[in-house]
Amino acid sequence: MKQKLYNKLKFFTSKQEFSTIIILLLMLVGMSLLQNGFFTRRVIVSNINAFLPLILLSMGQAIVIVSGGLDMSCGNAMALMLCAMTKIMKADSPYTGVIAILVCILLSLAVGLANGFLVGYLRLPAIIATYATSYIWLGLALFITPTPGGEIVNWFKIFYDFSAVKGCAQWIKTIGSVLAPSVIMILLACTIWFFIGKKKLGRYIYAVGSHDDNAYYSGISTTKVHIKAYVINSLFIMMAALYFAGQNGAGSANIGETLTLQTVAAAVVGGVALSGGKGNVFMAIVGAIIMSLVSKIIYYINVPSAWQSFVSGVIIIIAISASAIYSYAEKRNLLREVN
Amino acid sequence: MALLEAKGIKKSFGGVTALKNGNLTCNCGKITGLLGANGSGKSTISKIISGIYKKDEGTIIYDKKEINFSSPSESKQNGIAMVFQNLSLIPDLTVWQNIVLGNESKKKVFLDTENAMSVSKSILDELNPRININQKVRNLNSAQQQIVEIAKALVSNPRLLFLDEPTAALEREEVKNLFKYMRKLASKGVGMIFTSHRLDEVLEICDDIIVFRNGEDVGTIDFEKEGKDKKTILSLLTGSSDFNSTKKVYKDIKDVCILELHDLKHGKELNGIDLKLRKGEILGIGGLAGQGQTELMLALAGYYNDIKQKAILDGQEIKLNKVSTMIRNGIYLVPGDRQKEGLFMNCSLYQNMLYSKMGHKQPLFIPRKKYRDEARQIVKELSIKTDSIDTVVLTLSGGNQQKIVVGKWLPFDVKVLLLSDPAKGIDIAAKKELYDYIMKLVNEKSMSAILYASDNNELIDYCDRLLIMFEGKVVKELNKNEINDRNIVAASLHVKDEGGELG
Repeated sequence: MKQKLYNKLKFFTSKQEFSTIIILLLMLVGMSLLQNGFFTRRVIVSNINAFLPLILLSMGQAIVIVSGGLDMSCGNAMALMLCAMTKIMKADSPYTGVIAILVCILLSLAVGLANGFLVGYLRLPAIIATYATSYIWLGLALFITPTPGGEIVNWFKIFYDFSAVKGCAQWIKTIGSVLAPSVIMILLACTIWFFIGKKKLGRYIYAVGSHDDNAYYSGISTTKVHIKAYVINSLFIMMAALYFAGQNGAGSANIGETLTLQTVAAAVVGGVALSGGKGNVFMAIVGAIIMSLVSKIIYYINVPSAWQSFVSGVIIIIAISASAIYSYAEKRNLLREVN
Repeated sequence: MALLEAKGIKKSFGGVTALKNGNLTCNCGKITGLLGANGSGKSTISKIISGIYKKDEGTIIYDKKEINFSSPSESKQNGIAMVFQNLSLIPDLTVWQNIVLGNESKKKVFLDTENAMSVSKSILDELNPRININQKVRNLNSAQQQIVEIAKALVSNPRLLFLDEPTAALEREEVKNLFKYMRKLASKGVGMIFTSHRLDEVLEICDDIIVFRNGEDVGTIDFEKEGKDKKTILSLLTGSSDFNSTKKVYKDIKDVCILELHDLKHGKELNGIDLKLRKGEILGIGGLAGQGQTELMLALAGYYNDIKQKAILDGQEIKLNKVSTMIRNGIYLVPGDRQKEGLFMNCSLYQNMLYSKMGHKQPLFIPRKKYRDEARQIVKELSIKTDSIDTVVLTLSGGNQQKIVVGKWLPFDVKVLLLSDPAKGIDIAAKKELYDYIMKLVNEKSMSAILYASDNNELIDYCDRLLIMFEGKVVKELNKNEINDRNIVAASLHVKDEGGELG
C-alpha cells in the first residue's frame, strides 16, 4: 500500500509539469495571505477576467511554438481585430455587431494565413517574419483608429459579463455569476485544443516542430501544418479580441504590444520548449496565470515602484529555471533507466 | 514482372553532377542489391524515385505508369516506402507514434491509438521485441532507432521498399530477423532495393544486384544465372581488379607506456577499466555493439565531467573531466558519427579545420594566411577530393568527410588518437585509404592510437593488440597472432555460457 502510494507520488513528481504547478500553488497561497478574500467567487472571477487575454494568447502562442514557429505579432493582431470591430459597430443599430463578428473572423483568418504563409511556405525565420507582420497589424489598426475610441452594441457585452446585457434573462445572469464568459472562453479554448490534440493535426504539429525535415520525409505536408498552427493561433487571438471589445467597449491600437512577449514567457514558464516539438499546450494556461500573478504579488507586497520591474524579472527567471532544472533532472533519470 | 524501371536519370546539384545516367530496375517479389561507393549516386536515385529530389532528365515507370512524384507523401500514397540512411524519426515522439507517423488510422473522429500501438508492437516483435513502444525515440540507442525506422517503413504495407543501409547499426541477431522479414515480404510480391556496404549481407539476401559508379550503373548481376562471385562485384565497384590485401606485419613495440588508466568508471557503461597503451601501438577495442566501447572513447576524450579517476599520460597525472584539457595534452578523438559529432556540416573545410584549433591558445588575431596554407597542406596530404578549402563539407562524400575529421588534428602534436568507429558507413575503397593513412601517421609520427570498430575485419587488419569489452569491462586481451575472427567472436560472446542474453 505504502509502495503503491510512493509509486503514484513518484509518477506525479517525475512529470515536468510538477514543478510549474508547485510554483503556481505557492503563488496562490502567497496571494491568499496578501489579499483578503482572494478565494471568494467575486475575486476569482475578476482575476480570471483580468488574466483572460494573456491566457488565450499564450495558448495560441504555445501551439505555434510547439509547431516550431513563433508569433511576435499576436498582441498587435488582437489590437487590429479590436479596432476593426469597434469602428464598425454603432451602438444604436444591433445588427452591426454581426457584421463586426464576421469581419473579425475574416481578419483572424487573414492574419493566420499571412503568418503561416511567410513561415510555412516561404520559410522565413518565424521570429523576424512575425515581427514584421506585427508592424503591419499595428499600422492597419492605427489607420482604422488613430486615437483610442469606437463603440460597441450593447449585446456585445455577452463576451464580458452577462449581467451587463440589457434584456438578458435572469437565469442566464445567474449562470454568468459562476460560469462567467471568460471561464466559458477558457473552457472552449481547452476543448478546441483537446480535440485537435487527439486528431492527426495535433500529432503532426509536434512532429513538425520536433524535426521538420524528417516529418516531411515521413509523408507529412509540413507547410500545411505550419499554416494550420498559425490559423488556430489566430482563432485564439480572435477570442481574446472579442473579450476585449466586450470589456472595454472601445478600441485602441496600442493595447496589444506589451502582451506579445508576455505570451512567449508564459509558454516557456509552462514548459513549452522554444526549440519546438516539446511541451504541453494546456500548461501555457498555468504559465499565463503565473505571469499575471507576478505583477499582482509585487503590488500587494508593496515593492517600491522603482524596483517593481527588477523584482518581476527575478521572479520570472525563478519560474523558468524551475521547469528547466526539472527537465534536466528528468533527462538524467531517463538515461539511468535506459541503461 | 518489372515493378519499377528508371531509365537515364540525370541529376545535378549546383554544378556537381550526382547522377549522369542512372538506370534501375526492380521486380515484384525480388530483392535487388544496389551497390556503389559513397558518392556514386545510389542514394540520389533512391531519393528521386521517392519524390524527395526532382530529376533533371529521364523517365521512371512504376507499376506500368510513368510517374514523377513531387513529394514523399505522394510516393508513400502510391506504395513506395523508404528506410533512410540518416533515419527519418521524430525524436520527441514515442516509438509507436513514430512508426505510424503519416499512416495514422482513425476511429470515429480521433486517432486510433490502440490499433496503432498493437500494429507497432506486432512489427517490432518480429524485428526486436525488446524495444518499449512507449519510449521516446530520443532515448533509444542507434541500433534501436534503426529498427524503429525500418518498422516505420514496413507499417505502410509498401509495394516497393527502399532500404538504404538498414544494417549498418544493427547487431547480427537483428540483421537475421530483418532478413527473415524481408524474405516474407518478397514472397508476398513486394519489390525491395537493398543497399549495404557489407558485401556478405548482399550476397546472402539479394536476388540480383546493380552496381553504381560515378553516377551511372556499370553492371548488373543476376545471382541465379551468373552465380555469386565476390571478385567480379569488387572489380565492378572500384573499376579495377587489384585486390591484394596487404599482408600484415607486426612491428616491434617497445614496452614504453604512454597512457595508463586504472579502474575507470562512469555510470553503468564503464565498470572499472584498466588499460595500458604503449608508444607507437594501435590498441583495438572490440566486442559486441554497445558494451561501453563508445563511452570509453568519450571518457578518454574528456567528455564526461563526472569522472573522478585520473589517467597517467607520459608519466604525468591528468584529470579526465574536460575536453579542453585532453586536447591540450594531445589526446584527440575521431568520432564515427561525423555528421553529429565530427564536423560542422554547413561550414567549409577551412572553417572546420580552424575551429579545431580553438581548443589551443591563439594569438590575438587569427593568422588567416598561415592557417589556410595549413589547410591546403592537409587536403594535399590526405588527398581529399575537393575543389577548394572553401567547399562546404556537406557536399563532400562520406570518405572525404571522414578524412577531414582525422586531418583537422594533424597540425597538432598528437600523442594519442582515439578512433571511435572511424570507418562507419564509408565504402571499401575509402575505408582502405583512410586506414592506410592512419597507419602511416602512427608509424611516422610515433603516436599511439586506440581503435574501436564495429567491423571485426578492421580490428584484425590494423591492431597490434586487442581488448574485448563486455558490459563495461575488459574481459579478454588478444595479442598479435591471437587476433583473428574466431577468437574475437568467441571472446565477445564469452559471457554467453554464463547465461548472457545473446544467443
